[in-house]
Amino acid sequence: MSFRAWALAVRDSVRSIVRSPVMSLASMATVAVSLLVLAVILLLAVNLEYIATTVEQQVEIAAYLCASDDENPACENREPTEAEKRALVEAVKRIPGVEQVTFVSKDVALQRMKEQLGDRKDILEEYEEEGKNPLRDALEIRVVDPNEVKRVAAQVEKLRGVSEVNYGKEFVDRLLAFTRAVRLGGIGLVMMLLAATVLTLSNTIRLSVYARRREIAIMKLVGATDWYIRRPFIVEGVLLGVVGGLLAMALTGWGYVELVTYVQRNIPFLPMVAPQKILGNLTGGMILLGALLGSTGSIVSMRRFLKV
Amino acid sequence: MIRFVNVTKIYPNSQVPALSGINLHIARGEFVFLVGPSGAGKSTLMKLLYREEVPTSGRVIVDGKDIGRMRPQMVPYLRRNIGIIFQDFKLLQERTVYENVAFALECTDVPRREINRRVPAALELVGLRDKARARCVELSGGEQQRVAVARAIVRNPVLVIADEPTGNLDPENSWAIMKLLSDINQMGATVVVATHARSIVDRMKKRVIAIDKGMVVRDEERGTYGYEL
Repeated sequence: MSFRAWALAVRDSVRSIVRSPVMSLASMATVAVSLLVLAVILLLAVNLEYIATTVEQQVEIAAYLCASDDENPACENREPTEAEKRALVEAVKRIPGVEQVTFVSKDVALQRMKEQLGDRKDILEEYEEEGKNPLRDALEIRVVDPNEVKRVAAQVEKLRGVSEVNYGKEFVDRLLAFTRAVRLGGIGLVMMLLAATVLTLSNTIRLSVYARRREIAIMKLVGATDWYIRRPFIVEGVLLGVVGGLLAMALTGWGYVELVTYVQRNIPFLPMVAPQKILGNLTGGMILLGALLGSTGSIVSMRRFLKV
Repeated sequence: MIRFVNVTKIYPNSQVPALSGINLHIARGEFVFLVGPSGAGKSTLMKLLYREEVPTSGRVIVDGKDIGRMRPQMVPYLRRNIGIIFQDFKLLQERTVYENVAFALECTDVPRREINRRVPAALELVGLRDKARARCVELSGGEQQRVAVARAIVRNPVLVIADEPTGNLDPENSWAIMKLLSDINQMGATVVVATHARSIVDRMKKRVIAIDKGMVVRDEERGTYGYEL
């Protein structure tokens, strides 16, 4: 298969696209829309998963200690003394399965929050004065096996001086279930869109086949191989698909960069996959998929309309 | 060159066979007229030669190959050795004479240098060298058929098939085309011409095979058209 034959095929397919601009644009747009939806769903799923794993890695139990104004009646409206706090740390350490216990005073907690907020830490300024800190002292408990979290948490909750116990497992589970739902629903939706795209493409190619039916008949008579005859139509499908894919990724890429910038500025503690980490692969994938859709569309139309 | 062994062709949705029990032998280098009334089966016989159709039963052997049993992928390579000419020329009207002839070579991956050498030679042979740059729509019927002949022979085929090549032409142009086919035959190609052109058949004194109702009814060396329409 010579270079010239390919060059001729590309020339012919570009001519076909130019000859029916409306249909060609419609097919490119269809490809772009389907791939755009697919890309958005993929980005959503990837980010949800990223959030879930980030949180999962951080799964530890936070045991908040009683404060003097605590609503939990078990606290009896008193804050544990320094000695009681130290004893509490020791008691937690003795629970089987506990790996590490860290005492985090409310001052340290406030400091951390400021770090997380980065540029916008000024909103916390008024809490820095003595006695205005709304946070509570806490114990951060890491367990050896994440599956033990629930049991350890229950035991910690029973200890005197502990007001409330939190752990992220439930949140992580719900998040992962949601991610799966998004994936499944997304795949269903995308499958339908892709099928519609292949049909639109095949109709466009069919027009090209029809416009060149005389040429095709002559090619067959003079001994052109079936692949020679099919080639320009496959190239046409691939071109339409690739342009559609590029269009989709231009929009998705721009949108995602904007979104990540916005999130970093306004919800800084929400982890998101950095654009430069994901957009490259996604673009490659979408272009390949566009090419695949285009060639499938061509093959479908040729099976139906070009008896070669 | 060509051998038909008990060839029968029945088209789908048809009770009457288009051809029945045809036995034929055409030697390499022969010139043969195929005559017969419309619907007698001439075109079907031609189509079997370049495998546009396959026989329902029997064998069609062209250049030593049983083409009825040929794999579909091999058909293009069969056709590269056969030049085919039609009544309606089958040219790309918007393209030039040169482009039409070159097209047959281009779409079978012949190198450019070879194309540049062969196309002018073919146009020279049919006397259209000076019209190479004219578009086909601008040509007369006779000239268009000569373009088609040039395209058929540009590959030096061993077999040239012409189905009613003069059907759309006046007597003078018809005669010129037949003369051309005769020249090609002189150069070594086997030529099979299906025709209604009585006067030409009678004057050229070539082998005549007459077909009627799907059967060979007459086969004469140096024959004549021989029956009333």
